[in-house]
Amino acid sequence: MFYAQLLVNGLVQGLVIGLAALSITLVFGIARFPNAATGDFMTFGAYSALSAHKVTGSIAMGGLAAIIATGVISLLAYLAVFRRLAERSVVALLVASIGIAFFIRAVLGVAFGHSQQVFQVPLSRPYVFGSVRITPLDLQLALVALAALALVFAILYLTPIGRQMRAVADNRDLARVSGIRPDRVMIALWLLAGSVAGVAGMMLGIKTIVTPEFGWEMLLPAFTAAILGGIGSPVGAVVAGLILGVVQEVSTPLVGFTYKIALAFIIMLAVLLIRPRGLFGRVEGAR
Amino acid sequence: MTLLEIEEVRGGYAEVDILNGISLTLQKGEILTVAGTNGAGKSTLAKAIVGLLPRVQGRIVFEGADMAPLPTEARIARGIGYVPQVANVFGSLSILENLQVVVGVKDQGQRIAELFEVFPLLSQRKRTRAGSLSGGERQQLAFARALMTRPRLMILDEPTAALAPAKVADAFELIHRLPNLGVSVLVVEQRARQSLAISDRGCILDGGQVALAGDAASLLADDRAAELYLGRATHG
Repeated sequence: MFYAQLLVNGLVQGLVIGLAALSITLVFGIARFPNAATGDFMTFGAYSALSAHKVTGSIAMGGLAAIIATGVISLLAYLAVFRRLAERSVVALLVASIGIAFFIRAVLGVAFGHSQQVFQVPLSRPYVFGSVRITPLDLQLALVALAALALVFAILYLTPIGRQMRAVADNRDLARVSGIRPDRVMIALWLLAGSVAGVAGMMLGIKTIVTPEFGWEMLLPAFTAAILGGIGSPVGAVVAGLILGVVQEVSTPLVGFTYKIALAFIIMLAVLLIRPRGLFGRVEGAR
Repeated sequence: MTLLEIEEVRGGYAEVDILNGISLTLQKGEILTVAGTNGAGKSTLAKAIVGLLPRVQGRIVFEGADMAPLPTEARIARGIGYVPQVANVFGSLSILENLQVVVGVKDQGQRIAELFEVFPLLSQRKRTRAGSLSGGERQQLAFARALMTRPRLMILDEPTAALAPAKVADAFELIHRLPNLGVSVLVVEQRARQSLAISDRGCILDGGQVALAGDAASLLADDRAAELYLGRATHG
């Protein structure tokens, strides 16, 4: 039953990883580069939520602030940097995203300091199912994550702009000859990817402690989930995030808390060596 | 009435020109075949017309308007449709989504219904992922997608290249019907004889230049064209 508890904890942690991986895989699928600033977008989201929570006392308002502020900062990063480098190599874009990550972290460090900050959430009695305890907070966070995921998938699969995003991800030139304006799709992409990272950051902040570095530390598990799920596959990113979250938690008694992050690295290496296209990835056809 | 006018067009991908001063015209309602050997610049010309070639000089005028300053999506909005040679459908989208995703279509639902009448096979399988279609089905979807915007000019790049031999005649029959739908056609084809047989005029490229041009019937009867570019007609 001890492991059942770890499984539940892992699922909640997996939702955070899945959201971060979803942000990465959306950008990779459409803008075609690994966005190393995703972790720091999460940090930005966490601080935005923290600030709004302190002012209003409402977690919901904190979430709204995280979604809006991180969506906007993500869009600004696109307009100021990524759009200008759109025709450059993947390496140039990756390095630029690392630069943006450092910039965001430095600004947050100056604005909020480097001391640990926490969401002041009231303690509440957990629900008990046998020997498994689920706190109302975990349940609420899981619902928020599921609602965010449902919204993202509804946008991707049920709206014209979502179809256009998937079309650009599939074949950019064909999208253009179908009348799709890539600049509009990119604006939607960066708003969406930023907002998703913001939600993930807020969730992680509520679960742990907030420092300017904490999002950066989530980058490895998030990238692992994106690769494991099949880079460019939104469904794969979420499923892989859940798998990774559970594996990390369940393995903690065996490898210790400190080393559970190393598991992400081992899984990423194994996937790259054995099944580079991941669980849900397509084999790229010749174009 | 001249629909498309190409004047001294040069260009390519990197520093080397693939198109070396091509001039040609296409009249409203006609089918023009652009033929030539591999590397002659046929597909590059098609990309230049729709704005997918990174470096282009010269004039491309469609319905009296210079296309040079317009990005690809604006040329499509002006009435040009394009079917690329490969990767001509969105493989990860369903048949229906491939049509719904096209931007700038008035009465989208009605237009899709019209195209499903022209291509009934697509209607029957509209929820099928396009990546799982056969070559012939995929070609029908590629035509339908390009026709969504009700273009007045269709640029077809090697439309029979990926088809099984049994389906080639169907594709040419479909192309032949396009002017009846109000669509003029510029078709780039390796199967030059079959394409010229359904065309009004033809143009043969060599080394990025127009080597021969004229009525399709004249080109088919031209000994030099047959010798150098079309191959001898096979009988029986």
